[in-house]
Parts: sequence; structure tokens; C-alpha cells
Amino acid sequence: MAGSVDLHKVSKFANMAIPSLAVLFFVGGVYVSFYFHFLTVAFILLTVVNLFYLHIQRKHTILRNFGILGQARYFIESIGPEMRQYLFANDTEERPFNRIERSEIYRKAKGVDSASSFGSQLDFDNSEIKIRHSMYPVNMDQITPFSLTFGEERGLKKAFTITKPYMISAMSYGALGENAVRALTRGAKLAGIPMNTGEGGTPKYHMEEGGDLIFQMGTAKFGVRNDDGSLNDQLLLDLIANDSIKMIEIKLSQGAKPGKGGLLPKEKITKEISELRSVPMGVDVVSPAHHIECTDGESTIKFIKRVQDLTQIPCGIKLCVGKTTEFREIIREMKAQDIFPDYIAIDGAEGGTGAAPKAFMDGYGMPLMAAIYSANKILTDEGVRNRTKILASGKLINSNKQFIALALGADAVCSARGFMLALGCIQSMLCGNNTCPAGITTHDPELQRGLDVEEKSTRIANYVNGLEHDFYEMLAASGIREAKDINIDHLYIPSDTALSDQIQFIVKETSEY
Amino acid sequence: MTKSTHLLSWFLQLCIVALLAPAAYFKLTDHPESIELFTDLDMEPTGRYVIGFLEAIACLLLLIPQAIIHGALLSLCVMMGAIIAHFTKLGFSEMFSFAPILLVILAAVIIFLRRSQIKSIARMLD
Repeated sequence: MAGSVDLHKVSKFANMAIPSLAVLFFVGGVYVSFYFHFLTVAFILLTVVNLFYLHIQRKHTILRNFGILGQARYFIESIGPEMRQYLFANDTEERPFNRIERSEIYRKAKGVDSASSFGSQLDFDNSEIKIRHSMYPVNMDQITPFSLTFGEERGLKKAFTITKPYMISAMSYGALGENAVRALTRGAKLAGIPMNTGEGGTPKYHMEEGGDLIFQMGTAKFGVRNDDGSLNDQLLLDLIANDSIKMIEIKLSQGAKPGKGGLLPKEKITKEISELRSVPMGVDVVSPAHHIECTDGESTIKFIKRVQDLTQIPCGIKLCVGKTTEFREIIREMKAQDIFPDYIAIDGAEGGTGAAPKAFMDGYGMPLMAAIYSANKILTDEGVRNRTKILASGKLINSNKQFIALALGADAVCSARGFMLALGCIQSMLCGNNTCPAGITTHDPELQRGLDVEEKSTRIANYVNGLEHDFYEMLAASGIREAKDINIDHLYIPSDTALSDQIQFIVKETSEY
Repeated sequence: MTKSTHLLSWFLQLCIVALLAPAAYFKLTDHPESIELFTDLDMEPTGRYVIGFLEAIACLLLLIPQAIIHGALLSLCVMMGAIIAHFTKLGFSEMFSFAPILLVILAAVIIFLRRSQIKSIARMLD
């Protein structure tokens, strides 16, 4: 239909018509009825705004060429995301999570039956990884309940055991508002899973709610830092004196922005947050790209040892895999020093965040499935797979994806956005603006008002229970009696997947390296 | 907005309210002079009530922090109407005939000072 309507001509006509109408109404007001002047005034204003757009402002080409009619474009564009989400996007095409995936979580969170009818809406000829069932499923009572103990390799007195293969990924107070933090932590406690505090300094609200916490030490070490960004041992000891803190996670990098530090936009820095993190208000807080102590493999492992020796609780690391050769080198360094973190959390490039540069969010890091396979393979090749645990995170919001990650080598899975969706997130992608309509990633009390902590914490627990139910059903269907027996043979991996490429690549790399 | 422009804006808002509130009051309470005015405009009594009501609303909005910009826009519009009335029908026989011109200027200054608060326009100016 290109050219069927010449919009430039239409706008030229409108630009003439508006002042003409103003004159016409003025004449009407003088000779017919004074009431016409209501219109006169309106059209005079329109004329003034139009003249401003056409002749004075220089920033917007469309407004300069088309005038006030051009504004329709900006208006329609501004409501585009909502229009697409509500009306025009089909159930399988939204990103990062399509409607089918989101609805499944909403159903689990509300405790509604998730049986579907007629057939799958996914494309079975494409490159999706599927799970292989067994001709001989086992009975539920034949399955050993899940249990995973962090720190058992080191014989820690304060080893930490989880009985469900899920954790809530790092989300700090700062990234989230108070109500969201409370609801998540309370829900995690109800469900009996741990929650990662994120790198937001002293996790005040997480600790107030209790439950099991994993304290994340980001590259800026908020809450436990000296002024130069190095670790303050005493502050860390003071913090872990709180019984809620069961593990420490040293964040080396993050899937959404690997190679860069955390980012908290200035819009979200309230007075309280500036105090909890000891950062100024009114400027974006950008964490350094790496820990000041960690400049190479050797220093990184020494730092892990320092934290382990200091705290005497399980201490893991979180990273996004970039170069597999580097990952292999650091594992070899661990072997050389005989120091292993109690877990290695592998964050896929598809991981979420409140704020990250577009180039990094879209373009950096290895996708999770390929990364988890590589990490497991390298640890196994080096003969040290039994010295540590592997956690996986990155869009692992539903049972299938989680099962696939476990089959590729993860011991447990973490998710943040899955739990945010269970909390009522509607994927409006405003996490960095402090305007989250679901009251989750905002500090605006009026928006947080809608998030009822008690009600939503039960949704978190429901979601976990739903996932766990699926997990055991899937184990049974695949004929697996114990979670640790899930392996890659239980997967059907089409040849044109990123994972398939990586399997071939890593085999080649192993033979050369 | 800096603190000084903020203060200036509030001073101007109060000036407008000081001039507009009595005008609205006289119109809505059937003051003989108002009736005379609107008889000349052939708008008695509906027009008088409508305009009086709009002026009262404008005063109110000018005093509500979130709505100042809308109050300023509304008073600008009503006063433009008043100017037209004086030019075309009423003439400038008395001192208060010039008040609408002053008010239009004040409202325009407030809108200029608070231009970043008009969301749709702010986006255009970014």
C-alpha cells in the first residue's frame, strides 16, 4: 500500500487547516456566538504548538517535516510495546519469555492445574532440545529424595544442605523494592529453598525475613568493603554472624553483562540504599569489572581460599563462561593449589538484570546450555568433578529447561526472573526505571502498595512446589531413581543447536589442549 | 528545576490565583457586574457559570503540586478567551480589562519554567 496516501500532503493540509480554522472560529465568535471562542482558543494553541514543531525545534525530523500530525507517530510508538504484548504478539514469539512460558508460571504460582489441551504450540521440527523418556518409568516411591550438601568436600562443620534443586538467584534490595524482597525471602523460607541476597550490601530486609540466605559479594563488595574496594575481613565476619547467612557467593561475572560490573541506575538510589551501599545519590552506581584482588587465576583462587578460611561456611563463585580455555586454566589452577570453591554457579548469557548496556546484554557471553556442558566436561576431564558443585542459571524458569540444565551437568538450578514472574511480574521490561507496574523493581511506595507480601510469598512457595512436583514426575518418566543420575543421554539434542556445536568444539579443544 | 525557578513559579502561581479567584467568585455568585459583562457577550447565565467554574478549577490546579502545569494551561486558555472578549466586544474601558493580558503572560512563564513536566512534550524536547 506504499504511497496510497501521501502523508506529507495530508500533513501540509493539516498545517494550513489548523490556523485557518482558528480564524474561522474567531469570525464565528464575533458574528454568531461568543461560544465559538472556546474553539478559537484551542486552535490558536494548536497553531502555536504546530509552529514550534515546524520551525523552532530542530531535534525531531518528523515533527519538523510533518508538524503536529507527526506527533501521532510518537504517541503510537510509545504505546507499541503494550499493544504488541496485549493484542498482536502471538503466544510463542515474545522475548525473553513468551506467553506460554509466563502463563505456566502464573498457573503454578496460583496453584492452578497446568494440564493443556489439543497439542503443543512449539515447533517440533526446529532446534529445541527435548527430554528422552524411558520405556520403563519408575514409581515415585523408588526415587531417592533430592539432597545436595555444599561444603561436604571440605568437611565443613557448617555445611549447607538443600533438599530441593532450586535457589532464588541474586536480587538485591536496590534492584528490588522492600516488598518484593520480603515476599521473595518469606516465600523462599516457606518453600524451604535458599535465596541469594545479590550484591546490594548489607541485606537488611532479607535478614529481617530470615530463611536461608546466600550472601553475594559483588565486584564492589558492597557491605563488606574497604574504601579501595578490597575485602574488609571484619565486616564480612560481622555479617555472617547472622545465622541466616548460610553461604557466600563471590560474583566474578554475570551473564547479562559479563566483563562488566553491576549497575544500579540513579533513579533507584534512595537515601536508605545510598547508606546501605555507602554510595552517593544522584549518580548511577557502576561496580568495577573485577574484584581488586582477582587479576589472574592464581590470585582469584587465593582470594577464594581467603574467604573460605575466614568464614568457614560454604563459599562458591558465580561466573559467566567466556573462553572455555580460560575456564580450563582456572580449574587447573584450583587443582594446582588444591583449593576448590564449594560451588561454581554458571550464569548463561541469557541471564537477566535490572540494567545492563545493550551490547553486553545482547552480545556477550556463552549461552547457558553450552556453557554448563563445557564446565561439566572440563571439570570431569580434569578429574575434579567431585570436588565442587555446579549451579546453573539463565532463563531456567520452567521444569523442562531446568531438567535439561541438570542433565548437562548442573547439580541444582537458580532463577531470578522465574520467581519474579511468580511474584506477579508482567514483563513490562522497566526494571531499571523505578517504574515497575508490578511493584517489584521499584522503590515508589505507591507502586509497591499493590504487592502484598503475605499473599505473594505463598505464590513463591506454590511455584516451587509446582516445579518440584514436575521434577519428580519427570525423573519417574525418564526412569531415573536419583537426581544425580540425570545425564546428557536423557536428552535429544538436534544437530543445529548451539549446544551441539559446543559439544563438538569442546571435544576438539580437549584433544588439543 | 532549580530552587530559585521553583520559588519564582510558586510566586507567579499565587499571583494568578490572587487575581483569578475573586473573578471566579463574582461570576459564580451572580455579582451584578459579572452579569452585565456576560449579558454584553450574550452568554448569560450559562457561559458565566462555565467560565467561572473553569477559573475556579484553574485556581485549584495551580495549588496542587502535581497539577500546576495543567492549571497554568487552563488559565492560559481561559484568559485568551477573555482577551478576545475585551478586544471584540467589551473594550478596555477599565483598569481590570488589562488583567487577562497580565495573566496570560504569567501563565506562559509558569508553563515555560515547568516545561519539563509536560511528559509528552518533555519527550519531544529530549
